[in-house]
Amino acid sequence: MILDEVVQFLRRVPPFQFLSEKALNAAIKGISSEFFPKGSVIATNSGQDGDFLYVIKKGGVKRLLDSDGQQIVVDYKGEGDTIGYMSLLGEDVPWSCVKAIDDTICYLLRKDHVQALIDSDGQARNSFSKSFLHPANFDTLKEDRGFSYTCGEKILFSTPVADIARNNPATASQHISIREAARLMTERKTDYIVITDADAAPVGIVTNSDLRDKVVSLGMDVNLPARTIMTEAIHSVDAGDYCYEAVLKMVKNNVHHLVVISGGCLWGVLTNHDLMLLQGTSPLSIVKAIEAQSSVDGLIPVSNKINGIYSVLLAGGARAGNILRIITEINDRLVRKIITLAERDLGSPPVAYAWICFGSEGRKEQTFKTDQDNAIIYNDPANEGEAQAAFDYFSSLSKIVRISLLQVGFPQCPALYMASNPMWRRPLKTWKKYAADWCTTPSAKAVLNTVTFFDSRTVYGDETLLTAFSRHLMSHITGNRLLLGKAASLSIKNAPPIGFLKTFVVEKSGEHKDMLNLKVKGVAPIVDLVRFFALEKGISTPTTSTLMRIEALTASHSIVKEYAEELVHAFEYIMLLRIQHQYEKIRNNLPPDNFIRPDKLSNLQRRTIKEAFQVISKIQNIVIERYREMIW
Amino acid sequence: MVAALLNRFFKRSSAGHRPIESLEFVSLDVELTGLDDRRDSILSIGAVKMAGGRIALSESFYRLINPNVSFSGPVVTIHGITPSDVKSSEGIETALRDVIDFCGDRIIIGHCIDIDMAFLNREAVKLTGRPLKNQSLDTLAVYKWLLSRHCYKGDVPLNPSLYDIAKRFDIPVDISHNAVMDAFIAAQLLQRFISALCQCGVKYAGDLLRVGNAGCIITRGEISNL
Repeated sequence: MILDEVVQFLRRVPPFQFLSEKALNAAIKGISSEFFPKGSVIATNSGQDGDFLYVIKKGGVKRLLDSDGQQIVVDYKGEGDTIGYMSLLGEDVPWSCVKAIDDTICYLLRKDHVQALIDSDGQARNSFSKSFLHPANFDTLKEDRGFSYTCGEKILFSTPVADIARNNPATASQHISIREAARLMTERKTDYIVITDADAAPVGIVTNSDLRDKVVSLGMDVNLPARTIMTEAIHSVDAGDYCYEAVLKMVKNNVHHLVVISGGCLWGVLTNHDLMLLQGTSPLSIVKAIEAQSSVDGLIPVSNKINGIYSVLLAGGARAGNILRIITEINDRLVRKIITLAERDLGSPPVAYAWICFGSEGRKEQTFKTDQDNAIIYNDPANEGEAQAAFDYFSSLSKIVRISLLQVGFPQCPALYMASNPMWRRPLKTWKKYAADWCTTPSAKAVLNTVTFFDSRTVYGDETLLTAFSRHLMSHITGNRLLLGKAASLSIKNAPPIGFLKTFVVEKSGEHKDMLNLKVKGVAPIVDLVRFFALEKGISTPTTSTLMRIEALTASHSIVKEYAEELVHAFEYIMLLRIQHQYEKIRNNLPPDNFIRPDKLSNLQRRTIKEAFQVISKIQNIVIERYREMIW
Repeated sequence: MVAALLNRFFKRSSAGHRPIESLEFVSLDVELTGLDDRRDSILSIGAVKMAGGRIALSESFYRLINPNVSFSGPVVTIHGITPSDVKSSEGIETALRDVIDFCGDRIIIGHCIDIDMAFLNREAVKLTGRPLKNQSLDTLAVYKWLLSRHCYKGDVPLNPSLYDIAKRFDIPVDISHNAVMDAFIAAQLLQRFISALCQCGVKYAGDLLRVGNAGCIITRGEISNL
């Protein structure tokens, strides 16, 4: 009788809704329920509670991740969501803990029973993997919840093999000798080589352990054909299959390599190491991997993995604000690591310095790898000799860092806003003079510099230097009506793309005809408006992100006070749309851009984005009204 | 002898010091033909096990019992059990043996559990010559204690019904009383009380039993509480 209620509930929740009655009964054997008051910890990763799969009956939770003693919210889950699903596969998912954000009741399903069900019942296994593969089942729920909540952990279930397998693997004809195969493997720096027949179809694979176990240790003749030592039974997966299938195949056949087939042809190779890396595609594991490197070369593969985090975070339904925070944290660590490596080679700096970044990086809003925007402020040298030493040192340092950043995937800034440009690598007193110059004669360029460096924050080094500069800059801005007026007009320069007929204003011609530029028309107007308000109220570094600024301004700025919630919602929404769009591009091996087709959006998306634009438009009109005389 | 005494002493004190999360409970409820513990009989027994704050949803117990006496009147509308429902049910003996077995040495909890215990003990004495050995805990007493400590907002009502309290905690209730569902509701209440108690410093078995043993005063007119 008590169980009736449980069954009724689970019948509405994937994956349980897809189970047969018999399978459902097996899954809920030994089920219990527990109450977690708001704020209490439900499960920790170190987990004595690892024996259960939690299904949220009522309430909501957030998953947190420890980073440097700080806890970062990774995502939120609500009624009907499942926690701990991935660990069913014995994989360690490094979320540090799950906390109740509301009074929460969970059903606790015994993992051993669910595991037994998955192992023994193919249909149930399918239902489980399907529901985690197709978050579409949750769309109705998701819309109600305003994108904060979504379904469970599903890295293996949402990542196609092609996303992590190595494309274009080393291959060799079956007539090749063992020695030749080994040489090719060394040349390609790979642990395996696929042996193919005359039609280029894979017939076997030779791995490092084959060379060790069958050749070296047995003293085999290396001139024999490589096919004599290859593993013949080749198991394959399709490039479009989800990684879960691959795990099953490896486990079932006890192999560590699978050949990946696409369109009937050899496409690549998937190793269990790739799968382990995927499991390790967590912010925490990447952070650890960054810290563990001792060369820029070592950082390159780690940096390439960062994009995998988007898949995890997006699949987990994380909010844009949280995605940005996590990516910022990781990029910061990457930059810091590169600077420490450069310092290791150059020795310690002659004077203290701050490595600062601005632009989207400065606002902690960097998504996929964008241009380097950085500068150096160093302590005023005591004498000529020190000045020269500092000049030389930071010249070398900035050059090394620029090249290293390029190597790990950050393109150079075309406008040369980089520390390697001597203009942006100066002692504090020069920076102060810059600030004074910009503010007293606010030419268009000077205003642009003012707002650009207003977004700065220290990534590495002595942050008091930037604080001193920033304070100096603020002293010149406060009460400077000419400058504020120009900043105000800058903040409304991008009109929101809503026409009189409430249609989207799209690009009229060129490559992006009929498309909408999310960055220029969506993100930038909000960033610009909020930055202007922060400038007005003197809210400066380290409060540089748009969301942090809105929070800080809510108390003091009348416009923000009234529209804070709508602004945050608009920003989060447009940002998320942009991240999703760019991630799709990257997955399809295209460069990420900011252009979406409004006609490809769902009705709900269109409606939401229009509402977001209307908020921007409304606030821009208020700014125009209020600062009319300053704007002229 | 001394060793045995010491042993007993330590055993008792260590039992009293067991943290609440490690305690085994069984939430129990009986439906009756009436409230007179000399003349009235048990019509059904419902129970569900708990381990600390965890309700073992699949370990529940429910029996209808033929009282072998006629019964009627307003009481039937409360639990909805009619004489014909129990005509073919087993007698109290089997059900009692099974429920004693089900409870083991768990702490028996429930809303005004003293009443349920009185009826069970009466039958147990008849059947085995002695009452149940289990300790018991009244969720109403715990609730009143928490109110008196201002852990929850509101005055201390004289005798709120199980359903009144359940509604306050957003626990869904049915219209008619059923022993196992009422036991389940009381279990859910204890779930919530445990976390509140913990904040009031009640963390061990001994303290919990003291809080939950204030006794439950109830007049015969108020049988809706059962």
